[in-house]
Amino acid sequence: MPGKYFVVDTTKCTACRGCQVACKQWNKLPAEETKNWGSHQNPQDLSYNTYRLVRFNEYPAVVNSMVWYFFTDACRHCLYPPCKDEADRYVKDAIVIDDATGAIIYTDKTKGFGDKFDNVRRACPYDIPRQDAKTGVVSKCHMCLDRVSEGLLPACAKSCPTGALVFGDEEPMKKLAEARLAEAKKKFGDKAEIIDSDDVRVLYLVVDDKKKYAQSA
Amino acid sequence: MALTRRDFLKWSGMATVAGACLSLGFDLKPVRSHAAGLKIKQAKETTTICPYCAVGCGQIVHTDKQSGQIINTEGDPDHPINEGALCAKGASLYQLAVNPARVTSVLYRAPLSDKWEVKSWDWALDRIAQNVKRDRDAGFALKNDKGQVVNRVTNIAHIGSAAMDNEECWLMQAIMRALGLVYIEHRGPRSSTWTRASRAPPPRPTSTPPCARAPTSPSWAA
Repeated sequence: MPGKYFVVDTTKCTACRGCQVACKQWNKLPAEETKNWGSHQNPQDLSYNTYRLVRFNEYPAVVNSMVWYFFTDACRHCLYPPCKDEADRYVKDAIVIDDATGAIIYTDKTKGFGDKFDNVRRACPYDIPRQDAKTGVVSKCHMCLDRVSEGLLPACAKSCPTGALVFGDEEPMKKLAEARLAEAKKKFGDKAEIIDSDDVRVLYLVVDDKKKYAQSA
Repeated sequence: MALTRRDFLKWSGMATVAGACLSLGFDLKPVRSHAAGLKIKQAKETTTICPYCAVGCGQIVHTDKQSGQIINTEGDPDHPINEGALCAKGASLYQLAVNPARVTSVLYRAPLSDKWEVKSWDWALDRIAQNVKRDRDAGFALKNDKGQVVNRVTNIAHIGSAAMDNEECWLMQAIMRALGLVYIEHRGPRSSTWTRASRAPPPRPTSTPPCARAPTSPSWAA
């Protein structure tokens, strides 16, 4: 489907969290109150004020002593978003799809979900939407539609220093994803895959069981 | 230097107020309104160098043309070091200036005192000048033990901020060298030893979309 796509090559991610902070900065989202919970993953989870979060997961490895998987988690901008199907049952067009890019946009009408928000959140296979406790408005990544519509890169992709997070049109992005997948298979074996590549606009390349990167990956 | 510093603080204080207002203006209503108002479209662009580590990434600071307040900071795609990319620290540069937690007035703790007092810049600068004059007059050496001309001050040391940009560092050097100081240290090595130029990001991929200032490095994606 035409429109815009991300490629997230987790083999290139160093977890610098430039994307996470660039997202906060562009959207002027406030900081979270956090504490040391034994991981560099900080804050601990996505929230109404955190659209993008780099997840850190450690596992024992066959060859090296351990592997450390980094996963910049945010909305996948599904081609057919189940959250919208669910949400339209409660508030029509609270969630809309941008024609040009395919970005899934949560509008202010999402505050009409009320206690039905849990159903909307459960409808998301990736557990992305988050509700503001005070206003009831629901938020998530909006693909920096304001930037992209003016020909700029989303803040996250713009900041990525290693080329792990890339943004562009369908054809070059799918090509890049395929090329990187072939490379990854050579190096890391057949477990390498592009997660749900036919359903989403954010093409994650992982080299191990996707659940090791994020519970809802 | 004194005036620059004062103006800088005044200016960043105003920016703090602006930042607070900006955060309320985020309207997700219809898709189009979301895409319509690119807040940096009419902004003035000023380039600067990230002050945090030795890589020296280029950044663009977007300021409102009317108010002069900072709206946004992001990587400069035309800069050869980072070609638009930034790490988490650099990406947070906006908060260096626009930050409600920032100290915006002089705080003075007298010797043996346990509390801070708010003082004026004029008071602080005069006091610093007097102390520097007193110690420099006492410690200035024209010649060393061998009789060689050294023109140096060894009873004052300088340790500088890790968050100063290139131009501020130059000013600091000029002042300290002019005074005759030899113990001049930057605070950067304490916090950024691991960030060397070798850590600079690799070229950007070729497959990035057409954008206003697209990076142009070759043969990365393959």
